[in-house]
Amino acid sequence: MRQVSMDVITQAIAFVLQGQNLCALIAGTIYGIIIGILPGLGPSAGMALALPLVLKWHPATALIFMGALYKCSNFGGSITAILVNTPGDASNAATILDGYPMCEKGRGGVALALSGTAAMVGGTIGMICLIFVAPFLADFALRFGPAEYFLTALLALSIIAAVVQGATIKGIISAGLGLMLSCVGFDVITGHLRYTFGWTPIEDGIPLIQALIGLFAVTQALVLAESAQSISRIGKLTGGFWEGVMTYFKHPYAIIRAAAIGLFVGILPAVGQSSAGLLAWAEAKRESKHPETFGKGEPEGIISSETSTNACMPGDLVCTIALGIPGSVGAAIFLGIMIIFGVIPGPLIFTEKADVIYSLFIALILTSFILFLVGITVARHFAVVTLLPNEIIVPVILVISLLGSFAIRNLMADVIISLAFGVLGYIMLKGGFTPVPLLLGMVLGEMVERNYHRALMISGGSYSVFYSSTISKILIFLTLLSLAGPYLGPIWKRLTQGGK
Amino acid sequence: MLKNLTKLFTFVFASGIVLILISPLSNGADFPKKPVKIIVTADAGGGEDTEARGIAPYAEKHLGVRVMIENQPGAGGKIAFEKFQKTEPDGYTLITYTFPKSIIIEYMGKTNYRTKDFTPVFAWSRGNQLLVVHADTWKTFDEFLKTAKAKTLSGGLSGRGSTTHLAGLIAIDELGIKVNWVPYEGAAGSTSALAGKHLDFTICLATSAIPLIHAGKLRPLMLFSDRRDPYLPDVPIPKDIGFDITALPAIRGAQAPPNTSPSIVKVLEEAFYKAVREPDYIEWAKKRKMVIHPLNAQEFGKAVAEAYPNVEKFKEMFKEQ
Repeated sequence: MRQVSMDVITQAIAFVLQGQNLCALIAGTIYGIIIGILPGLGPSAGMALALPLVLKWHPATALIFMGALYKCSNFGGSITAILVNTPGDASNAATILDGYPMCEKGRGGVALALSGTAAMVGGTIGMICLIFVAPFLADFALRFGPAEYFLTALLALSIIAAVVQGATIKGIISAGLGLMLSCVGFDVITGHLRYTFGWTPIEDGIPLIQALIGLFAVTQALVLAESAQSISRIGKLTGGFWEGVMTYFKHPYAIIRAAAIGLFVGILPAVGQSSAGLLAWAEAKRESKHPETFGKGEPEGIISSETSTNACMPGDLVCTIALGIPGSVGAAIFLGIMIIFGVIPGPLIFTEKADVIYSLFIALILTSFILFLVGITVARHFAVVTLLPNEIIVPVILVISLLGSFAIRNLMADVIISLAFGVLGYIMLKGGFTPVPLLLGMVLGEMVERNYHRALMISGGSYSVFYSSTISKILIFLTLLSLAGPYLGPIWKRLTQGGK
Repeated sequence: MLKNLTKLFTFVFASGIVLILISPLSNGADFPKKPVKIIVTADAGGGEDTEARGIAPYAEKHLGVRVMIENQPGAGGKIAFEKFQKTEPDGYTLITYTFPKSIIIEYMGKTNYRTKDFTPVFAWSRGNQLLVVHADTWKTFDEFLKTAKAKTLSGGLSGRGSTTHLAGLIAIDELGIKVNWVPYEGAAGSTSALAGKHLDFTICLATSAIPLIHAGKLRPLMLFSDRRDPYLPDVPIPKDIGFDITALPAIRGAQAPPNTSPSIVKVLEEAFYKAVREPDYIEWAKKRKMVIHPLNAQEFGKAVAEAYPNVEKFKEMFKEQ
């Protein structure tokens, strides 16, 4: 493993603190937050649109700008996810689950504080890990073949068992529906179209963000329209920003767990941030002493999902920078930008372009702190939208969310998809179904199915491929543990208490 | 009075007809008068999008009007192609994509558009397919071929029905080997699986493999092309080692809707031709390791016509039977 010399790092810090770089960093942060708040624009579109602007800049300055933009658009998406139940990007899916219910309790400001603090802490933990162990992590990620990916997805799905505790049947129905929906569209393995009924807009599969917008924003608008109050049911805001920051640091165990999940999911190529947030949320719920509060405005839910998503982004960059394999769509665009600036990814990058890479890393850490500052100065004031009367906020949510749904592909059909999912979400809500298993099913279904096929194609039909490697064995063990957990927990408790 | 009104009406009516009759004639002369839109059939940030945004400012300079990019992703570009077939052929809306993916889509399912109906304008780049193996395995193509003839190897694909798949099918057909194809949803998946030794080889566009080759994880064995790649000068092409494999390069360029008038095409073609010769543009392409390979409207049209029989021949293989 390559040693990082302190010299390189101090030089990088000095470089980032130069006037032009600091300006680029702040500009990238603000631009990123705005892109994140705007409906339908995520990090990918944001970076592609800003590219012509920075083409003539110094490579390191340009990468600092793009890195800050990439990181911060996530935070912008969290703001809308928390306040009006509209995710800016698929990565904000899990933040909605507890963020919005907190707003209903009048604690929108606290929720935003948690999200801002999580961006700072999660991002910093992720970046520090990235700086010191990136080359090693990249080699580890390559050992994941189709069989290992399949088992990872299976492990992730097994978490549903914990999520649905209490309402098992309804939870399993919801998860099954999610898995069924993930089958729709072009089958990458066989080349056939499935369940599209000749409708071209779903040939790529049900578009995830459009479905999310329907399931959360549209459903919520329908619910809000039923009463003449405001999002904040008590009609005022309680709890200040600092209360949120304090609450965050009261959960050190949840923070470390979420950061570890985020980092792990991040380094696996082709597993996105949406899974990172959802998995950390579900894991927190399972470990919690009061799992019933999750999804009803539990601060720990936001802490977990946001810390994990923010730690995921540096993980995403590991394979992108060390090997040139992008971990997500956003990372793919970042990779393209690096190549344009003559920073060719590969293990040699850490010695050949050490100045550029380490100044990027330092800048990303600094961005985390600036994001936090923006959070305490500006973002908290956004919480007042939760006090607006429903007559005003419902049309606004509908217009903004459907506009976002349209803007992603410039397609009217996507608005129809969002509306359909809105109705589905409404029916599920009234019937007492939770949408979380459905989401997990939709996000993980493809990964399970495709990698199962690939593993068997490579092995020539032999099932031994699923348990031959050490990583596979560990994953199988964890999956069994996760499935049996809800039943073993009480027994374990009885045994230990009986011992006393 | 009434007579005068009738006269006036007749005059207006007649001049209206005359205007309608002469307007198509004036099309080429005063084109373009408003911004030109280029439709990208994929998401912002991908290869197609980056190349379109790369050439736009230079085309803008020579057209004298703004050139805008609009992304219409979905169904591998099918949504955009269907819409484009019915677009007004006034030269203000163009489309760019990785040719020949549109033809493959025609053969994979039912479509209402035909790529041969689109009016070719200009192509700026070509990408060639590369056969890569893990750096710890075969050193030369001959060694690879010897093993491939003895047993069925697993080959990674960046997608079933992709331009890469087509190139792969053509190659194994000519080499007389059997391959167990494993499709992924992009080159990132198939190249990283190869770097982790989960596959025996992968075929992908040269630009997608360059970072991993640079990283020392992968070794390129053959470039499916009729000329070597300036960015990979040491990699042999089929001709060098005595094979005759039809090269079907991935071409990126602009096309206009069906029945666009030749005078408009000429204006656009000229602007793009001047754009690819701008030193700044050439410098930009070099950084991206993109091979500039200009094709004029006529040559682009010829490439379209030649691609059809190749796709037709392998159409059954795009889907698993």
